[in-house]
Amino acid sequence: MVSRLLILLLTCTATSVALAQSSSPSAGAWEFLQKQFYGARDIGVTDEAFMSIEAPATTPDPAATPVTLRFGAAAIGRIKQVRVIIDNNPSPLVSTFDFGTDARVAELGLRVRVDRFTSVRAIAETIDGTLEMRSGWVNASGGCSAAPLAAAGGQLGDMRFRPSADSKSMLLSIRHPNNSGFQIDPVSGDAIPPHYVKHIRFVVAGHTLVEADTGISLSENPTLLIASDRTLPTPVTVEVTDSKEAHFSRNWVRDVRNAP
Amino acid sequence: MALIARRRSRLAALLSVLILTAASVAIAPASAVKPADIFNTHEVAPGVYVHFGRHLALNVPGHDDIANIGYVIGSRCVAVVDTGGSMKIGRLLRASIKRHTQVPICYVINTHGHVDHVLGNAAFLPDKPQFVGHAGLKNSIIRSRDFFLSQYAGDLETPISRDQIVVPDRLVEDILELDLGERQLRLQAWPPAHTDSDLTVLDLKTGSFWTGDLLFRERLPAVDGSIPGWLAVLDRFAPAKVRLTIPGHGAITTDIDSALEAERHYLLALQAGVRAELAAGRSMQHAIENVAIAEKSKWLLWPDTHPHNVTHVYQQLEWE
Repeated sequence: MVSRLLILLLTCTATSVALAQSSSPSAGAWEFLQKQFYGARDIGVTDEAFMSIEAPATTPDPAATPVTLRFGAAAIGRIKQVRVIIDNNPSPLVSTFDFGTDARVAELGLRVRVDRFTSVRAIAETIDGTLEMRSGWVNASGGCSAAPLAAAGGQLGDMRFRPSADSKSMLLSIRHPNNSGFQIDPVSGDAIPPHYVKHIRFVVAGHTLVEADTGISLSENPTLLIASDRTLPTPVTVEVTDSKEAHFSRNWVRDVRNAP
Repeated sequence: MALIARRRSRLAALLSVLILTAASVAIAPASAVKPADIFNTHEVAPGVYVHFGRHLALNVPGHDDIANIGYVIGSRCVAVVDTGGSMKIGRLLRASIKRHTQVPICYVINTHGHVDHVLGNAAFLPDKPQFVGHAGLKNSIIRSRDFFLSQYAGDLETPISRDQIVVPDRLVEDILELDLGERQLRLQAWPPAHTDSDLTVLDLKTGSFWTGDLLFRERLPAVDGSIPGWLAVLDRFAPAKVRLTIPGHGAITTDIDSALEAERHYLLALQAGVRAELAAGRSMQHAIENVAIAEKSKWLLWPDTHPHNVTHVYQQLEWE
């Protein structure tokens, strides 16, 4: 906890800025990752009207850095998959989001660990099979090995569900250590084994809205904000699976606004 | 009576100087702040010496000299209260003590575990003092130790070694009185507030009250413990015997209530703002950009501290 504050005080000089398009996407790591995930396929660099990625250039907390993807009118309803990749993390693929048929996702928000100065990028695949990318830089270090929050606790798999006033977005928080495997208990000196959320599925009114394959680059107590350009129907069901094959699920049956 | 009157007028004069200094710092850009070439200490009450830290960020030269640190001299013992953010500052503080007294340094007290208050501890090892802190301070410093060694290597001695990060060997669970010889210090440990190991020091002889970072003035308070906890502590904070308050950062004051009110105002705005963001299902990023913005003009180093505070408080209140 203390160290997180100090990392912030060291590095934090600005609040959020929309990430500038990096003129040359970081060379080595991304070339490798591109081949791994997309083979020889062309990836276009799209404009903000289609998709944007936003994160603080210098993060208040490297272990809980907010990243927001926004989709423009040209993209909403036309995307089938989005990957979020942090080039210089030990596990670069943060999440693969598969959108349900006819899902109208306007925004995705998550919190990530940032291990060192890095490109953060989103690659969207449209329903007609083209790939579009946006990227930017985050300057932070130590997020993957940061000690767990001293005040952490609560019941594993507990969830909080917070809809917006217009019922178009929902914020989900999952109580889970999401241990990266790179953390050390600073008092005992023992390595903390990896234990992380690996899958999250959102179902609204019986249809899958978004499914996410996730990993150790998500922050402790993972959160996911999903917004649509339309009112989200109910009931909402969230199913979570972690790396020990533990399953957690919650169901909100009333209208989104009045969900518990 | 004459003695008291003289002390009061001296205190009043000192206070006015410090308040003017603080005011000029508040309106001057950071680059215009004069570097402190000389390590100054001020005798703010008889036998109570304070070195005032500067309002700088932790990533600029001088970052090791941002906290208020000092010492209290009794007839048998000196107690140090915080040691600064480097071996250099710790040594300068120790040299200042040796200039003022031959009385041995029996105690080095840390008000909490942040780098700007503890990294000078090792400078006092030759005195073989008791290192005194909150019951939670030892683990708090150990949790930060590797971070200090990697990020603040330049503020330690080369070669860097773990034994330069000195943890307390006398822990305070609730209240501890230390006898310095003809003066008593009352140390009080608090529940999680600014950090999870905050301790205050009251000199019963002069009513001088070292708050540690439970009180910030001018510089924006940093939340690294519990915001509801901190607000609760402030409500039962000031002992009746307090005459002069020495905050962890900023000018001393004889009006603790006003100082606490300014801090409370920010903390309440931060807490209420984050709760409102959560209730509306807003992201942490939205909260960083929107919470408590009306407070911004009242504090120094806002961009260095406020986003962290929102981040910390959001992750905490998310589970209320």
